[in-house]
Amino acid sequence: MEKFLSKIKNRYLLNTLLVAAIYGIIMLIIQLGVLNRYQANMLIPVCYNIILAVSLNLSAGYLGQLPLGHAGFMSVGGYTAALITLALDLPAAIEFPIALIAGGLVAAVFGFVIGLPALRLRGDYLAIITLGFGEIIRVVITNLGFTGGAFGLSGIQKHTTLTVAFLCTVITVFAVHTLMKSRHGRAILSIRENEIAAECSGIPTTYYKTMTFTISAFFAGVAGGLYAHYLCILDPSNFGFMKSVEILIMVVLGGLGSMIGSITAAFGLTLLPELLRDFSDYRMVVYSLLLVVVMIFKPSGLFGTYDFSLSRLLTDSSKGDLFKKKKPESQEPVADELKGAEIAPDTSISADPDIPPEPAETDGKEEL
Amino acid sequence: MSGQSILDIEKLGIDFGGLHALDGFSLHIEPGEIVGLIGPNGAGKTTVFNLLTSVYAPTRGKIELQGEDTKGKKTHQVAKQGIARTFQNIRLFSHLSVLDNVLIGMHNNMNYTMFEAVFRFPRYWKEEAAAKEKALELLDVFDMRDVANEESGSLPYGAQRRIEIVRALATNPQVLLLDEPAAGMNPSETEELMENIRRIRDKFGIAIFLIEHDMSLVMGICERILVLNYGLVIAEGTPEEIKGNPTVIEAYLGQQRSE
Repeated sequence: MEKFLSKIKNRYLLNTLLVAAIYGIIMLIIQLGVLNRYQANMLIPVCYNIILAVSLNLSAGYLGQLPLGHAGFMSVGGYTAALITLALDLPAAIEFPIALIAGGLVAAVFGFVIGLPALRLRGDYLAIITLGFGEIIRVVITNLGFTGGAFGLSGIQKHTTLTVAFLCTVITVFAVHTLMKSRHGRAILSIRENEIAAECSGIPTTYYKTMTFTISAFFAGVAGGLYAHYLCILDPSNFGFMKSVEILIMVVLGGLGSMIGSITAAFGLTLLPELLRDFSDYRMVVYSLLLVVVMIFKPSGLFGTYDFSLSRLLTDSSKGDLFKKKKPESQEPVADELKGAEIAPDTSISADPDIPPEPAETDGKEEL
Repeated sequence: MSGQSILDIEKLGIDFGGLHALDGFSLHIEPGEIVGLIGPNGAGKTTVFNLLTSVYAPTRGKIELQGEDTKGKKTHQVAKQGIARTFQNIRLFSHLSVLDNVLIGMHNNMNYTMFEAVFRFPRYWKEEAAAKEKALELLDVFDMRDVANEESGSLPYGAQRRIEIVRALATNPQVLLLDEPAAGMNPSETEELMENIRRIRDKFGIAIFLIEHDMSLVMGICERILVLNYGLVIAEGTPEEIKGNPTVIEAYLGQQRSE
């Protein structure tokens, strides 16, 4: 037991040190002038995009439900946070955290309200309904008075520094990671894997679906708050369908259900358009081609569903580290192929006596 | 008899439209009993299981588990109350490890909240460690500790069937429902499965209610058998009684259909 506890402590220490080291290196690079001001500034979008991707991965990857309205939650959080800092006249150190959390909470409320009816559907239907809700949010914001309407909100103070953004990212990653490594996380995964079996194993699936959706919306809201105080201007047209898709692309490219995948893809896809500046007009073509190529050669995304398992975490502390999980092993594709041949028919095509007939059971993962 | 029985099913029935898929199904199971349910295809056997686990709501009759009515309960509530099942077509969480599959079954044996999980309170560590140990013990019953960290979907068919049973046991059930546990198994595997079912009964003292087409298994381990045809119980009794029952033989061989 003693040994066990010390192992835990060591791991936390290691994680904290690593996070601190990454932060230190980034700051050092900026101080040394390796990155210019513009490039250093680009790291903030990287941070909020990581938050967005990780939070979307929670519902799209882990829960296996595909929402297409993530930008909607982001906008709710962004507007809430911006309105709060505009209304309050306190030092940034006080008002900004309040604004971010409030933004997250309001977005979470929206997530809950939308999730409750939407999560009764699945697959394509859920995607379409959340797409609709995302658009509704945007249209409502465009037409409300206090949100500045189509002109948007301006005069927002630039509170989002790299330090704040980095901290929020670390907190998000930590929270999602620890959540997924608990009985609650396993419950969420079980719903993705097989909802009926999950329900029969005593998992209240409706509760977990709604809860996951709400948490996912919360972090999207926080990211929206960061976004608002980074650009200092909010324009409802920035939160359209394309923004949702952009986040989804990050998650799919990284690998649905892989946190390290979401992080890597968010990092890469945020910086890629900037790196391709030399190609000027062709850069979006290159960007799209890269996506196509990755999807052809690694359809399950860069990292597949690779993630830590609890047991590996407990038995091997060297792998238990969040920033060391770079082993996209060849585990799942092989297994998938074998399975088709070996296992009794468990696909949605076969007539299945175990369950009542339901509308087109689609597994979000394969369908994508 | 209903005094000590753990599961009381009273005149259970369900209609799908105008079809009486099941009617007048009564059964009382005592702890430690192994009861079999047989019948031709489409007789309504899996429907019974779906009713017991609240996947369907019964049109008539009632189900009581330990004297508590399951009416209006959701499937997960019934599972928590003590009815666990396996499926005719394996339904594992196939991308997850064997251990995780079992741990998901133990979901309701742990109590820490989401908040405690995210911030890793002591209760999280304590309950997780205890659950993991218990899960490995359960896997030991089937000699599956070695594969605990394997992806469950990549294991052979027989192993997957066993994992499903272990996962069901992990929910700490009073009654275990097995839907065609021997489907797709060869005779020696079936033999082993029979051993395992007996062992589970002896070790955990739970009641087992199973659907099976494999007669050697049904006749070999069931103490009581019910025969279902067209949604009605046409015979009930010990394996010997069932074997000699002319109605049962008729239902299976379809000599002269009188309906």
